[in-house]
Amino acid sequence: MVVLREGMCPGLDEGLVRDLRAADIKTVEDLVSSDIEELAQKCSVSYKALFAIRRVLLAQHTAFPVSGADLYEELLSSTAILSTGNPSLDKLLDSGLYTGEITELSGGPGSGKSQVCFGVAVHISYQLKQSVIYIDTTGGLTARRLLQMLQTETSNTEEQMEALQRIHIFRLFDIFSLLDCLYSLCSGGLQQASVGGGSAKAVIVDSVSAVISPLLGSKQNEGMSLMIQVAGILKTLAKDFNAAVLVTNHVTRSGSGEVQPGLGVSWSHIPRTRVLLERAEKATAVSRSSVRSATLIKSSRQPCHIKEEFDLQWWSRSQVEPSGKRKLDETDS
Amino acid sequence: MQRAVSSLSFSPSVKVKLVSAGFQFTSDLLHLEPLQLSKEAGLSQQEALEVLQTVTRAGEGVSASLTALELLQKEEETRSIVTFSSQLDAALGGGFPIGKITEICGVPGVGKTQLCLQLAVDVQVPQCFGGVGGQVMYIDTEGSFLLERVIDMATAAVRHCSLLVEDDEQRVAMTTFTVETILSDIFLVRCNDYMELLAELHLLPDFLLNHPRVRLLVIDSVAFPFRQFDDLSQRTRLLQGLAQQLVAMAYRHHVAVVITNHMTTRLQGSQSQLVPALGENWGHAPTTRLLLQWAGSQRLAAILKSPGHVDTTIQYQISSDGFRDADQSELPQNKRPRTHANQSAASQPDS
Repeated sequence: MVVLREGMCPGLDEGLVRDLRAADIKTVEDLVSSDIEELAQKCSVSYKALFAIRRVLLAQHTAFPVSGADLYEELLSSTAILSTGNPSLDKLLDSGLYTGEITELSGGPGSGKSQVCFGVAVHISYQLKQSVIYIDTTGGLTARRLLQMLQTETSNTEEQMEALQRIHIFRLFDIFSLLDCLYSLCSGGLQQASVGGGSAKAVIVDSVSAVISPLLGSKQNEGMSLMIQVAGILKTLAKDFNAAVLVTNHVTRSGSGEVQPGLGVSWSHIPRTRVLLERAEKATAVSRSSVRSATLIKSSRQPCHIKEEFDLQWWSRSQVEPSGKRKLDETDS
Repeated sequence: MQRAVSSLSFSPSVKVKLVSAGFQFTSDLLHLEPLQLSKEAGLSQQEALEVLQTVTRAGEGVSASLTALELLQKEEETRSIVTFSSQLDAALGGGFPIGKITEICGVPGVGKTQLCLQLAVDVQVPQCFGGVGGQVMYIDTEGSFLLERVIDMATAAVRHCSLLVEDDEQRVAMTTFTVETILSDIFLVRCNDYMELLAELHLLPDFLLNHPRVRLLVIDSVAFPFRQFDDLSQRTRLLQGLAQQLVAMAYRHHVAVVITNHMTTRLQGSQSQLVPALGENWGHAPTTRLLLQWAGSQRLAAILKSPGHVDTTIQYQISSDGFRDADQSELPQNKRPRTHANQSAASQPDS
């Protein structure tokens, strides 16, 4: 809660703030939750004045209800569905990434998380002509691969360069710089990053677990608090700025050997949609195939545990696409 | 959007003091004087000053970002470290990438250390010969650094380059590219346990600042100090932290980080399979994962994980000169799988 300061609301002058401090009332929270009558006696202020102050403060710090109809209006006008560019993934995600939501990809090493992120970034920046913020915490981003993916979309060098310029990359390797970056994005950086009006429509964090997991599990619970901070700011980015947030997570094995997303139960509430990526065959780690299977493990739209297979080669396929799908993407946005 | 004080990098005790004094958001701190803050929150003046400085810095805005185009240009400018095995170079897109972490895993005796030693020599190949002309920091945790082999490889590398000399620039470069200079540009650190390794990695950024020519950091191996560990969750945490340190170091100081890892057996039901050690989480740390393995009497190198390349398998051999391509004329029966691998690499434009 906010510290009480003179001039915050009518009637709260310097003398009163001092008196309140003397009565151990420092923040708005303290004032609101205290017994006004008792306080009025202690500080020798009129009950009425304190009551008025409290009402104003409550009004200032409350959240306002919004009617469902208004919300629906807003939803229709502001929500976009950003196609991932891959038909199987789109099918799994109910036609793509929704703005205003956090979508999570989890999977073991080499399961294709980063590849999907690259593909999404390229698709959004080239096909949908929107800016993308790409936060790379593992050093896994290679612009060459992005270019490679773009080359399968178009052979026009100028268009490739334009699309690359719409992808903004941050390389951050610890949680505090990640938080710094996310907060500065919230306070205007998101608009700054985009070119030609509007704000960036997609924020990709690859990977969120790389910076959080070193902090978890020690005796101090600071890590947990920081994790929730990251979650909160990502949600704000998604909701208030209407961006589609895509994060990646690693996996752990439960006692029975089952694969599940990392970062524990607290984190599992954060993403709206979770997708688990695995290598398609159950075979050895030595097998090499670019086919991956994606399982939906949490979603508010589709039945869970539906499974789709897709090929990582999709993004480096040769130019064979019929134009029908492209049109669909554009109407979606 | 208000930023909570607890999201800044203060020590926990400072955070507790700030929050209990009512300062929950950075906006509460913005217009305070250090003296006032130290009185109100019960901090020392030094602490209060640091808090306020951090707050203003955090409020200043956007950290540096670059567009993918700028990154692409940077990547094009950066050379990779060649391995002297043209097939492996091709599979990796020109060699071991600078600024990234590459892990080499494999069973004992398959050539992990040999490849590391080869890289330690190769990184010093002068720029006019297509190398990067850098120095190398070699952290040896297993005691497997073999000076004799380095001398063999260095001799072979010098001989190879001297055969290539064509112009004056290269002739001049050859005068400083000798076995002695190669050896003197290898900084070797022997770490006996994980504490020494962690401590060394903490000191390394300073070392790299003082030695700006270092282009390669080898840790052979990262697995050995961590194999004997009772507290597995602590091990995971340490390793995750170490991974982030390495990523940051590779990026900031522009070095290629090459680490080696052991293999271990994982039981799944009644089946067992050989997987890289240190657990699944560690697998996210390296950007590229290279698996060296035996197939009969041949040695194969396979890319297990890479964000920029397709999974390929190539064949190599270890000769007295070092890590080289498998001799094609001697092994004609293996031609088929190899050309196949080459084709799939070639189908990736610009890999």
